[in-house]
Order: sequence, then structure tokens, then C-alpha cells
Amino acid sequence: MERNRRRARFTAKSQSKGRRATSSPSETIALLLLRFCSPSAPGRRRPCKKMASLKRLETEFPILDPDFRSFCALRGIFTVQDLLIHDLQSLAADAEQQPSSERFVQAINQVLYLIDGLHQPWSNGVELMEDAQKSKHVLSTGCEGMDFLLRGGLHEGQVTELAGPSSSGKTQFCLLTASTIASKHMGGVVYIDTGNSFSAKRIARFLNQIYGPASEEMQPRGLEQVMNGIVCHSVFDIFSMFDVLHCLESKLKSQRRHDERLIIIDSLSSLITPILGSSGSQGRALMVSAMSLLKKLAHEYNLAVLVTNHTVGGDGGIPKPALGESWKTLPHVRLLLSRDCGSDTYHVSLLKHPSIASGKAAMFIIND
Amino acid sequence: MEVGRLPISAALKGKLVSAGYTSLSILSSLSPSHLARDLNISENEALDILKYAPHDGRIDTSSGHHVINGAQTAWDMLHEEELLTRITTSSVDIDNILGGGISCGEVTEIGGVPGIGKTQLGIQLAVNVQLPIHCGGLGGKAIYIDTEGSFMVERVLQIAEACRDGMSANNTISQNVHAGQIGMQPKDFLENILYFRVCSYTEQIALINYLDKFISEHRDVKIVVIDSITFHFRQDFEDMALRTRLLSGMALKLMKLAKKFCLAVILLNQVTTKYAEGSFQLTLALGDSWSHACTNRIILYWNGNERYAYIDKSPSLRSASAPYAVTTRGIRNCVSNCKRIKLM
Repeated sequence: MERNRRRARFTAKSQSKGRRATSSPSETIALLLLRFCSPSAPGRRRPCKKMASLKRLETEFPILDPDFRSFCALRGIFTVQDLLIHDLQSLAADAEQQPSSERFVQAINQVLYLIDGLHQPWSNGVELMEDAQKSKHVLSTGCEGMDFLLRGGLHEGQVTELAGPSSSGKTQFCLLTASTIASKHMGGVVYIDTGNSFSAKRIARFLNQIYGPASEEMQPRGLEQVMNGIVCHSVFDIFSMFDVLHCLESKLKSQRRHDERLIIIDSLSSLITPILGSSGSQGRALMVSAMSLLKKLAHEYNLAVLVTNHTVGGDGGIPKPALGESWKTLPHVRLLLSRDCGSDTYHVSLLKHPSIASGKAAMFIIND
Repeated sequence: MEVGRLPISAALKGKLVSAGYTSLSILSSLSPSHLARDLNISENEALDILKYAPHDGRIDTSSGHHVINGAQTAWDMLHEEELLTRITTSSVDIDNILGGGISCGEVTEIGGVPGIGKTQLGIQLAVNVQLPIHCGGLGGKAIYIDTEGSFMVERVLQIAEACRDGMSANNTISQNVHAGQIGMQPKDFLENILYFRVCSYTEQIALINYLDKFISEHRDVKIVVIDSITFHFRQDFEDMALRTRLLSGMALKLMKLAKKFCLAVILLNQVTTKYAEGSFQLTLALGDSWSHACTNRIILYWNGNERYAYIDKSPSLRSASAPYAVTTRGIRNCVSNCKRIKLM
């Protein structure tokens, strides 16, 4: 599919050089901003140039000389982003009145050309459909009730939240999903554990159940290989979690093919609760930033993400998921889990899903 | 903004963004003096910021699994878990449902009604951790943090004497006296319990922050008992949001301590009533957001005239209950006719 990359050019109304006048600057700006918001085809990588201050760009582009920079500085423009925000029409009019108006116009064009090279290319519905069918698979969780509720299981490219009161089976479900995906889908699992609840013994028990007793697939060698695919990180604050995710991102970027299929964070709410709600919105900003990083990893590298959340008391004593109203919009799929007291039966209901009606419920049993 | 994810102050973040540094990869190619000049800050602050710049040296490819530094595969963890020793509770039934005893590297919360024996169990564990490994302990010291003032030294002496008698009885039966093994006296047991008394929630938080440094200097500490974790947070707290934040921060620090030094952390908790599903139920104090702050939870309750321990939450153990008794010698197995003794 050919992509149309239209270049936006900005010209002042000068007669020299015969440049074509384009649409008005504000339309240009609108077009540029639209491109920044467009969805991108997965697998595209941004070019390496980053948004920078005009001063540092001078070394590469000598047209951005100190005169131009002081012209911009008088109007409060120090970086490429400031130029985008500024009203280009009035800037053009000002540039006209300067003695070296042509150079200034060239310089503005140069910066806009740089910006043009930064955005992701357009993609359309057909490409997105191909991507969804070929690269974004559905991963079975190993639990029939949950697979039935989610019509197949966890979707790659989506972030799923599992909320539930204490001891309702969230960690058990995470361990079961990790074992299933490591064994049946031969995928790597990144397990980020905040409460020292990752139990390798439990994973070994699940794997023995999956393979059945005394089957020839389950040689000790096979168990080692499968369990080496599950990597566990212990993190105890949100910045360590960001570290782990950044390292993971650079690792995935540098490899052509990767095995990882699933990221599990158990539990994300225990990392966010200590910083949420204090004076200032730092906590909420970090929460949104964490989710956007997870969504980016999920989309670009075809991973499924599972995070757990605890519950707090709601109206009438019915537990509702924690982390507040602004959290509700962040995950793609939201599930609420509960367990009958003292039994192995779990009830799960669907609170939000992009393609299934909410309110459905299912029941499942996790054996010892 | 990727720069928003750095653990630096909001003012510094604002300066970085207004100078044009919005993504982390720009930072990795800068020198501290350049950054300091650009942002108009001191060079030390610039060095602090650049510490967080990403560099590729963190990926450890030596083991062949391309594991990021600090991570472990499940296979390695399985072998480590098998080698971990546990601390006995002196009651064989409770040890059985716990898979051998209290495990290290995890935070265990023990809750129950007043008078059920939480402090007794805490003291028993603080004594048992000092036993040598072949007797069910870890040969280490204990830290006991007392918030209510319920720690009674005379009781510790009683339990220590009973422990010593039990050990020497074992030695004569098995004729396992190692050459040069010094028999532990009750005084030695008392010496190895490091006791802190806290009187307010600020002291409690300060102490938990200090424990990291303290334990790095006293590496033979193997258990931390906090009795009880909830006392100072239940009264006089008007700002519930602040309470939630403080408690979850405290929980994360305790988890980190348990993991880093591979010790057992025991939290003793009180109960309160909760109105759920049309009836009042007993539940552990501090609310739902605290309930996920422990790895394992054991609930102590009365069943008729007997005391029972029930595993409420555990990643790898099955739910089970076991009876136990509190005797003059400490926590022991329940003999079937033992009755509830009212302490007046």
C-alpha cells in the first residue's frame, strides 16, 4: 500500500524563488497536528530525530543561525514544539517585515520539514484488519470459564485488568495464565511481582496438570525449558517498574523476532496507591504514563498485558475496583473476580470490553 | 512525556521539558556540565538526572537467556524455593498446613480476636528463629517491634526455658551432641531479640524506613515481628486518603525488606466488624486496601473451646485449618481434651 506523505510547506507571500503558495498556515498546522494523532501501523519505528531546541539543531542546519533564533526568542519560541504551538500566520507576517525575510522563511520551512519527518505514516482500515488477523492472536488462558467469557482468551495488543477483593484468586489466575502461555503457546512471559507472591512451585504444579501425569512430553528437560520462558521481576516501587519496562522495550527493539507473548503485573494497584491522591496530580500522571507505555508495548510488539487491581468498598458495601474514576478508561478489558468463601469456585464478570457486551458472567474452578 | 517517568522533582521535570529534553534517549548522550548550563542547575543535580538515563548495559546476556539484570527465571526460582528453610511454630499441626513452617522472603499476616494468642505466636517465632537449623530454626536473631506494649519479658523467659529443655531432650534422645556445641541458655535467647517500642504512627514509619540500614549492619537478623501493625493507624486518623497512602507505602517497604534480606516478616493484626451481604462479619482491620499487602495470611479463631489457625491467603498452599494450644511452654499442638482457660 502506498502511503501518501504530503509535505506541508509554509511560504510567506513573497515573489522570489517561484515557490508555490499553499493553503493558509493555520490549515497547515491543523494538518500537521492531525498527523501526530493518527494511528500507526505496528512495526513502524520512529526516525531517530527528536524534538529539540533550536540552538542544538543549528549544528546540523546552519540556516537556523543566531539571528533567526533571536527573532524567535523574542516571540517566546525556543524549541521545535514552541514553533508548532505558535501562530504561524502572525510569525510569517513578522518575518516579512524583517530585513532578512527570505532566510527566515527558509528557516521556518526547514523546521517544518523536520517535523514532517517525525510522525508515523498513515495507515488505513485494511492494513489494521490485516494486522489484527495476522499478528494479533488470541491467547487461551488455560481456564475454560474465562476463555468462554472472553471469546477465546487474552487478546494480544490489549491490556486486561483483573480486579477482585483479597484472596479472590487473582494471583492464582495470573500463575495459571503464565503456565498455559509458556507451555501451550511456547511464548515468553514477563511476570512483574510486587508482593513476593510468585510461586515457582505452583507453576510447576500447574504445568504438571497441563501435561497430564506421566506423559512423554513432560520430561525434566521439557519442564526446564518451559519454566525458563517465565521471567520474574520483583519490583517495589513504580520507578523500578518503569525501569523494567524500558529495559524490556530496548530489548524487544533490538531483536528481530521475540518470544515474549505476555506481560503480567501483579499487582499494579499496590504500586500506584502510595502515590495517588496526594497534593498535585503526579500520581495520576504516573498512572496514565504507565498505562500508555504498556499499551504501546502491547501494540507494537504484539503482547498481551494482564494487570491486577484490588477492590475498595463501594455503595452498599459492594466492592468496586480501586484506583478511581480516571483509571476506568485506561484498560481495554476489565474483569471483576470473586470467590465463594472457602471453595475453589470463582465467579468473574465482565465490566468492559471493546467487542463484547458488558455484564456477562462466568464461573470456573481452579484445582489444586 | 517520557521525562515524566523519572523519579525527580516536578520543578526539575518542568525545566527539562521547557529546555526541549522530552525523551530519555536524548539524555543518554549528554554531559553533566552541558545539561547543568542548559537548565541553569548545579552540576550535582545534573549528575542525579543523568543517572536515570537509559543505557544498554543493563541487559545481561551472559546466561544465554537474555535476562534483564535483577530478574530470575521460574526454573531458578523453583530450585531456590526448594532450598529455603522454614521457621517452625512449635506446633506440628500448624507446621504441616504451612508446608513446614513460616517461610522466609515473604510477609505473613496473622490476625485474630483479642486473646487468641497472636502475641504468643509472635514471641514463639522470635524464640524459634534462634534455634539451630536441625531443630527447626534458622540460627538467627529476631527484631520485635512492639506498638501496643504487650511484650512481656517474663513470658519470653518462660518460652525460652521450655525451648532449651526441648532441645536438650532432643539431644539426649538422638545423641547428636556436636563437639563444641554450646547449649543455649535462656539468657542467650533473650540477648538475640532486638526490641523496639513505638508510640505513634510517625515513629512506626520512621522505624520501618530505618530497618533497611539497620539490617544491613546486623545481617544475622532473620525475622521481623511487628505487633501489631494496625494499632496506631486505627485511632485519630482524620485523613483516610493519607492513611491509605502511608499504609500501602509501608507494605511495599516491608515486602522489599523481606525479599532483599530473605527474612520472614510477621505482621500481627487486629479484627473489626464489617457489614457485608446483610450481616456483620469479622474481618481484619485497616480495610480492603491493606488486605493485599501480605503474601500469606493466617487467621486465628475460636471453634467451640479450641483455638484454630486457618490459612486465608497463600500463593502456593492449600486452604486448611489446624488446631493449636497456648500452654505455659508456648504454642503447642492441641491435645484433644484441652479446654479454654480463662485468664483472669
